[in-house]
Amino acid sequence: MLSRVVLSAAATAAPCLKNAAALGPGVLQATRAFHTGQPRLAPLPPLPEYGGKVRLGLIPEEFFQFLYPKTGVTGPYVLGTGLSLYFLSKEIYVITPETFSTISVVGLIVYVIKKYGASFGEFIDKLNEEKIAQLEEVKQSSMKQIQDAIDMEKAQQALVQKRHYLFDVQRNNIALALEVTYRERLHKAYKEVKNRLDYHISVQNMMRRKEEEHMIDWVEKHVVKSISVQQEKETIAKCIEDLKLLAKKAQAQP
Amino acid sequence: LAAAVLLKDTKLMDVKLGQLGSWLAMRDFTPGGIMGAMRRGYDRYYNKYINVRKGGLGGISMLLAGYMVLSYMWSYSHI
Repeated sequence: MLSRVVLSAAATAAPCLKNAAALGPGVLQATRAFHTGQPRLAPLPPLPEYGGKVRLGLIPEEFFQFLYPKTGVTGPYVLGTGLSLYFLSKEIYVITPETFSTISVVGLIVYVIKKYGASFGEFIDKLNEEKIAQLEEVKQSSMKQIQDAIDMEKAQQALVQKRHYLFDVQRNNIALALEVTYRERLHKAYKEVKNRLDYHISVQNMMRRKEEEHMIDWVEKHVVKSISVQQEKETIAKCIEDLKLLAKKAQAQP
Repeated sequence: LAAAVLLKDTKLMDVKLGQLGSWLAMRDFTPGGIMGAMRRGYDRYYNKYINVRKGGLGGISMLLAGYMVLSYMWSYSHI
């Protein structure tokens, strides 16, 4: 990032470098191609099962094949016999006391190898196989781990495609919440307005009732005031006479 | 037409007897070349006889036999 800043600063400082600024770090890497060579030894070829064949433990098989066209099967053996006789007769190989100890040691070694060679080889091979199996297991577990990581990554990438469900749900929730709030506020406004109107109505009712009662009281008071004492006596006497009449009628009826 | 192989690139078994001297002269005798040749020889022997699954006796016995012959030759100067 700093290199980009430096490049742009250099471009502004010297206009001749403006073309150089166009070749940013990204372009340089885009033009150079990596990994163009053929991969060698990949995957690694497996170890050969057996080594080159060796006859008598000393002479490679290739020598016998080399002499076969010219001398047949017995050629190398005859050559070996002739060479050893030549060395002995010309005293290139001197017979010393060492020779006899060498012969006995070599004989002993050959006997031991012939007797225990196979079992020893199997034992060593088993050790080797265990080592190889261990390493193979490590490799397999590492490969499995990486494969699991790849699968999880793919699954998560697939999940990303389903993100829109989440957003739809969230959008729906928000729409519902907005709707609910709107209705709540509408209801509250309605209640408040009704409250105010009810108040006015009840005030009117109360005023009317009060007026009615007041009027009735006023009328009663005046009527009572207007009944003079004389009128009251006459009215009471008339009521008593009416009652006497009614009593007579009631007595006469049953 | 098969392209003629340069003498420099032929293997030892393909060199004709008369060309042997010139072939030897063309080999790389710089220290780096000698080290490279020794490295190649060692790698060939190692990968053929020792770096195998079921190596046999021949791998080390040939080395020991070669060591015996070499030490015999060096210790007796009458040859």
